[in-house]
Amino acid sequence: MATPVGSAPMQGSRLRRAFTSPVTARILFPFAVIAVWYLIYYTIDSRIFPTPVEVLEFMWEEITLTSGVRYSSVATNLYGQFGISILRLTAGFLIATTIGTLLGLAMGLWKSVDAFFHDWVMAILAMPALVWALALSIIFGFGHTAPVLTVILAGVPFVIVNVREGVRNTPKELIDMAKSFEVPQEKITRHVLLPSLMPFFFAGMRYAYSIGWKGLVIAEVFGSQVGMGWTIKFWYDAHRAKGVIGYALFFIIFAVTLEKVVFDPLARRTFKWRPALNAYQLAEGDFGAVSQEGFLLEEDEIDQDIEVTGMEGRSHDG
Amino acid sequence: MATTLDKKELTPRSAEEERLIALRKRDTRRKWFWRIAGYVVILGTWQWFSSNVFNSRIVPGPIQIVEVFPDLWNSGRFAESYAATLTRIGISFGLSFLFGALLGVATQIRWVAGFFKDSITIGLVSPGLVWALTGLVIWGFEPQGWIFAIFLTTFALVTVNVAEGIQALPKDLIDMSRAFGVTTWRRQREIVIPFLAPFIFTALRFGFSIAWKVTVLTEVFSSNAGIGFEMRVASQLFRMDEFWAWALSFFVFALTLEKLVLQRYERKFFRWREEVSH
Repeated sequence: MATPVGSAPMQGSRLRRAFTSPVTARILFPFAVIAVWYLIYYTIDSRIFPTPVEVLEFMWEEITLTSGVRYSSVATNLYGQFGISILRLTAGFLIATTIGTLLGLAMGLWKSVDAFFHDWVMAILAMPALVWALALSIIFGFGHTAPVLTVILAGVPFVIVNVREGVRNTPKELIDMAKSFEVPQEKITRHVLLPSLMPFFFAGMRYAYSIGWKGLVIAEVFGSQVGMGWTIKFWYDAHRAKGVIGYALFFIIFAVTLEKVVFDPLARRTFKWRPALNAYQLAEGDFGAVSQEGFLLEEDEIDQDIEVTGMEGRSHDG
Repeated sequence: MATTLDKKELTPRSAEEERLIALRKRDTRRKWFWRIAGYVVILGTWQWFSSNVFNSRIVPGPIQIVEVFPDLWNSGRFAESYAATLTRIGISFGLSFLFGALLGVATQIRWVAGFFKDSITIGLVSPGLVWALTGLVIWGFEPQGWIFAIFLTTFALVTVNVAEGIQALPKDLIDMSRAFGVTTWRRQREIVIPFLAPFIFTALRFGFSIAWKVTVLTEVFSSNAGIGFEMRVASQLFRMDEFWAWALSFFVFALTLEKLVLQRYERKFFRWREEVSH
């Protein structure tokens, strides 16, 4: 159907306009999910499949600690399990950042070091976290070691790859010029190397954290008796679908909050300009490591009824 | 007729050029030296740790793992497991890729973009484990379970990559086609899809790199055949050499498919593009 030139798409009533706005669509999404959920509920013949209401009730009981379930002596409830997982994640993340930064700097500065480690870093990057989780839990048994090591192995390649790229990305002319004007090395590091390294370093940490978390929950299923991963496995083993789905939702809420409340604002503050490459473009890696910036339209843009948005501020390769 | 090109070849190389070529050669030699040194040192350390620090049954060295291969190959389970896993990937990732790519193209419609926005965020950040267990607890060992899990873990990545292409669409071409009254359908077919082709390819590659991992993960919990199943059985029996043989063989297989086949094909397919972009 050909659209006539210059036709105004919003001639309809206010109501129609409100209904066709993308914000309305976004609000409609959860309702659509619930509708699909009920559709599945009525079509499959399963006695354990819960309704959304049952799952929400379960989640509420977990949050208010009225469910009466006592998981273990170490971590009795939801908060305890989350706490342990976050501690493990943080420990693994700090170690991964330290090792990754040192190795990434060395690989960026010296070609020999880069040639030495390159293939191995890429291999570890592409290895599924599941393999680490299973192998390490066999080696170290139940405890903190296997989950923390899984976080490190899942996260460290992302830090290495990004820091290395950051060092390489430092404008050489600036350093040469600074040197020829006899600027002290310490000043060069602070004013040239660090600023150009920062976005890459930050991107690496962000991937390491979110990938590390995905690895951690798998490791906790096999190599631990506490933690979030273990808890969802607990409900799975107990054949309580509402427990599994309830905890799945807790996971998603946690992940989305982390992304939107912690990382996005931090990213906006730490660097105004995006690194030209993300870890994905360097070496196709793992879940969700693709940047979400530039995807779809930002909220404030959605409100405007302009037909085609400008491309300003969206960096693309090539 | 002597062109400038011919002349250049005839003139002897200057001392400076000779020096540069020698330098480059030396660089390549050094790089390979360090690369091989890396392999030797790391594999050696692994082997040493396996036989001196850990129990070699628990941490098998590279030599042990390679030695297991012939046995596995002869057992006949290899072909069977690969077939099972690849079928799963084919079906579920096929569906997810189709849906993801269509959704990516449909993000041109702002209503659709708004509707699916949150689902993309959720799809990108939530761990595959969550979907694997949820699918399993709802459908048991039936195919819907793993289709559900693989679909939900991969479609968002495909959509994001295609939508990135949509954002880079040449606005002037779209505007012009509108001004000349080209139909929406024709605009999609003749401007949008050709422009998106490289993005769709990238989406396929990234999506696949995750699809095989999630597939193996779901198999660990919910199947009686496939690579993931074999890995679980091997680790439960403490046959870690077999475990690594399964894991590494599929790892190498998937990486070869992803890097060599898809990437090479991508490059070949879009060679014309590079010439334009320079």
